[in-house]
Amino acid sequence: MPDLVTRRAAPALAVEALTYRYPTAAGDALADVSLEIAPGELALLAGRSASGKSTLLKAACGLVPHFHGGTISGSVEVAGIDALATGPGELASAVGYVAQDPETQVVSTTVSAEIGLPLEMRGDSPSTRARAVEEVALALAIPHLLDRTVDTLSGGELQRVSLAAALVTRPQLVLLDEPTSQLDPVAGDELIWLLRRLNEEWGVSILLAEHRLERCLAAADRVIAMASAGIAFDGPPRDFLTWAQQADPPLETPAARLFSLAGITPLPVGVRAARASLVSAEPLEAGGLTPSERLVLLRQQNLGRPPTPHRSKLREEGVRPPAPQVLTSRSLWIELPRPDALHDVLRGIDLTVRSGERVALMGRNGAGKSTLLRAAAGLIETVAGKVEVPRGIALLTQNPSDYLVRERVGDELPGEQGEAALRVVGLEHAVDADPRDLSGGERQRLALAIALAGQMEGERLPGLVALDEPTRGMDRARKGDLVSLIGALAERGAGVVVATHDVEFAAEFAERVVLLGDGVVVADGPAAEILSGGWYFATEVARVLDLPGVVTPEQGAAVLTERGS
Amino acid sequence: MRSPFAYTPRRLPLQSASPAAAVAYLGALVVVAFVYSSPLVLAATGAAAVVAGLLAGARTAVRAGVRMGLSLALLIVVVNALVVSRGETVLARLGDWPLLGEVDVTAEAIVAGLSIGLRAAVVMVAAAVYSACVDPDRVLRALRPLAGRSALTATLVSRLVPVAAADAGRLRDAARLRGPGAAKAGWPPLLRRLLAGSFDRAVDVAATLELRGYALERPRRRKREELRPLGGRKPFEVRSRFDRRFYLVALAVLAAAIAGKALGADDFHTYPSIELALGPAALALSALLFASGLAPLRRKPPRRTPVPLFLSGNSHRKGTAEGVGGQPHRPQPPRGPAAAPTLGVPGA
Repeated sequence: MPDLVTRRAAPALAVEALTYRYPTAAGDALADVSLEIAPGELALLAGRSASGKSTLLKAACGLVPHFHGGTISGSVEVAGIDALATGPGELASAVGYVAQDPETQVVSTTVSAEIGLPLEMRGDSPSTRARAVEEVALALAIPHLLDRTVDTLSGGELQRVSLAAALVTRPQLVLLDEPTSQLDPVAGDELIWLLRRLNEEWGVSILLAEHRLERCLAAADRVIAMASAGIAFDGPPRDFLTWAQQADPPLETPAARLFSLAGITPLPVGVRAARASLVSAEPLEAGGLTPSERLVLLRQQNLGRPPTPHRSKLREEGVRPPAPQVLTSRSLWIELPRPDALHDVLRGIDLTVRSGERVALMGRNGAGKSTLLRAAAGLIETVAGKVEVPRGIALLTQNPSDYLVRERVGDELPGEQGEAALRVVGLEHAVDADPRDLSGGERQRLALAIALAGQMEGERLPGLVALDEPTRGMDRARKGDLVSLIGALAERGAGVVVATHDVEFAAEFAERVVLLGDGVVVADGPAAEILSGGWYFATEVARVLDLPGVVTPEQGAAVLTERGS
Repeated sequence: MRSPFAYTPRRLPLQSASPAAAVAYLGALVVVAFVYSSPLVLAATGAAAVVAGLLAGARTAVRAGVRMGLSLALLIVVVNALVVSRGETVLARLGDWPLLGEVDVTAEAIVAGLSIGLRAAVVMVAAAVYSACVDPDRVLRALRPLAGRSALTATLVSRLVPVAAADAGRLRDAARLRGPGAAKAGWPPLLRRLLAGSFDRAVDVAATLELRGYALERPRRRKREELRPLGGRKPFEVRSRFDRRFYLVALAVLAAAIAGKALGADDFHTYPSIELALGPAALALSALLFASGLAPLRRKPPRRTPVPLFLSGNSHRKGTAEGVGGQPHRPQPPRGPAAAPTLGVPGA
C-alpha cells in the first residue's frame, strides 16, 4: 500500500478502461469507463436511472467486484491504492461511501458506536476513537445525536450519521449515492452545503450521484454524465447544461430549461447565476425590454393584485360546480409513540379534498404527511376528530415492493377486476411477467393497480388515490410518466393526493398544495401561489424570477417572452 | 413502531455502568430465580427486577416484560393444574379428558405451577430490563476480542431483528391496503416476501460491515496497546462510578442466596401438601432481595443555597481568586435561611 505522502499526491480516484458485469446480468453495467477525480474536487455524477452511476460508486469503494462478484477489467485506483487488488475494508481509510438509503447502512445501536465502528475495526485506540467521533460530530453539527439510538433518528439525521461514519477515518474521497432523495428541501440543501464546506475546508474530494441536479449543480466543480453504462459527458457545470440541452433534455435543471425556452444565454448553473444572467441579458427582441426590466415591470404590476383565488373559492363563487368530497378531515388529532412518551403527530387537521383535485401534500420530514394518509386509509386510529373517505381510498405507501408478494403479475391481480386495474395503470400487456422483472416505474404502477383493484365500479376509480413519496430515486423522465398517470387518474374523477418533498414535481402535477408544519396545516392554496411564495418550498424558477404564480420553466419562459400575457 | 425492549440511552446508573457490572447485577437476580422455588423469595426477586427497571427509566420495557411474564406464568399454572393431579387438596374433578385422562385440579398443582411461572416471569422482567438498559454495542465490543465471529453474528442479528420487525409491519400494512379485487396476500407469500427481504437486508448490512473494515485483521500491536496502559496513563475510557455499587450488590445477593439456602429459606414443598418456610431466614432474604432492586437509585444532588444575583457570573465559582473583570472576590453572605436572594448592586 502506498505511503501517506504518495497517497496525498495521487488523484483521489483514477478509473481506466473499466468494464464490469454483475454475475447474472446479460449486459455490462459499466463499459470502458475512464475518469479521474483530482484531490479537493467536488464532482457531480448525473444520468438517468440504470445508467451505471451506483455501480461506478461501488467500484470506487471496492464493493465491486470484491463484494458483488462479477467480471471486471480495467483499473481503479483510490488515492494511489489499487481498488481491484484491495478489499473495501483496506480502502476504508481512503474512501467513504454513503448509500442511497441510510437505513440499510447502519449496523450499530447507538450513534456514537456507529460512527466509531470503522476506527474500531482499524484497531485505533479508544482515545483516538473518542476524539475522532467528537470531531466529526462537531463538523457535521450532530454532537447532540451521539447518545441517541439509530432507530430514533429521522431520515435527515440518519443521513448525517452515515456521512459521519464515512468521514471519521478522514478519507480523501467521499462517494454519495443520491443522498438527498429522502430529504425535504431544507435538509437536502443543508446536506449539499455541508458537503461543499467539507470540500472547501478539509479538501475532501467528493463524487456525488444525484437526480435532483438543481440542488447541487451550483456547488459542483465538474459534472460527469453517464448514459448506457458509459460516460457521455465530462466537463464544467455550464458546459454540461449546454450538452444536456442538446443530448438529454431531461437532465436539464429547471432554470436552464427556463433560459433555453426563453432563448437566453448562457445557461445558469444555479439561482444566483440565473439572476446575474438576467440582469446582464440583452432584450429578447429588438427594441424591447431586457428580461430584468420586464421582471421589474411585472413585479410592479403584481403589487396590490389580489392572489389567485383557489379552485374551491371559485366553486363557492359559483364559477365551477362543486365536486363531491373524497377526503374530509375535521379537527384530526393523532398520537404516535416515541421512545419516551406519546407524541402529537397531527394536531387538529381540517382538510377537504374533492373529486378530480390534484393535491401535493408537502412539509418537512416528520411534519405528519404520511401519518395523515395512513389515517385516511384506516391504518392509524385517531385520538380526536375524524377523517373520512366516503368513496374509498387506494393508498400507495413509500415502498411499492411491499405490495408485490407473488411471482406473476396475473396472480397478483386475477379476474376481470384485476384486468381493469391493470388497464388503468397501462400494464395490461404485462400479465405474465414476474413483478421483479419490471422496471421501477412499472413496479410502482403495478402496486397502485393492486391498491385500486376491486374498488372501481366498472371503470370508475375509488374517490381518493393517495401516493406517499412516489418519486424517491426517480429520474426526471420517469417523473414525467408519473405526472401523466396522476393527470389521467384525476381526469377519471379521483381526487389524487401525493405526499412529496419534490417541489419541482409538485409544480408539474399539482393544482393545490397543502403545506404541513409540525402536525398542522400552515398553508393551503393553489400550487402556483404556494410554490412561488417561500424560500425552501419554492421551485428553482420561482426563486430565479420571484414572480407570484410563476413556478415552472414553461410559465417562466412565457412571462419573459410575453407569450403568455 | 419501536420495540418496548429496545435499548434507550439514559444517563442513569444502570445505563452508565459497564456491561459486565450490569450483567452481574441482573444476572444475580436471575440466578436467585433459578436456584429458589419459594414463591416468597421469587416474588421479592421479581419485585426487585421491577423496581430496578423503573428506577432505570425503563417503564415501557418493565410493563411489557411483566405483561409477558405474567401471561406465561398464567399459562404454566393452567397447564400444570390440568396435567398434574398430585396433591391432597382437590379443588375440582373435571372427569376424563382425551389425552390427559382423569383430570383433578389440586391446590398443590396450582401453587407448584405458580412457582414455576413466577420463576419464568422474574427471568423475563430481568431480561426486559437488561435489553432496555444495557447498550448492546458495548456488550458486543466487550465480546469481540474473545469471540470475533460470534460477535459478528450477534451484530448482524441485533441489527436485523428490529429491521425485520419493521419490514413485517410494512408488509402487513401493504396487505391491508390491497384492493378487494387483488389476490389476498396470505401468510405463505407474505412470509416468503419477508424472508427474501431479510436476505436483501442481510446483504446490505454485510456490505456495510465490509466497508467499515469488519473483515480486517486487527493489528496485534494495537490490540495489545489497548489492553495495557499507554505512557503511564490508562487508555481513554468513560468509566462508571456506579460499577462498584452493582458488583457489590450482585455479590451481596449471591452471598445471601447461598446463606439462605443453608439456613432453609427455600424450604418449600408442594406435594403432597403445601409447606412454605416463613421463618426469619426467608423473610430476611426476601427483604434483602427486594432492597437490591434499589441499586439503580440515583442519589439526588445536594440542594444548593440560592446565590445572590450580585454574585452571579464568575465570582461565585469555587476556588476562583478573582471576581468579574478581575475585581477581588466578594465574600459570600452567610448560608442558611437568612441568605435569601437579594437584588444587590455590585459596589453598592
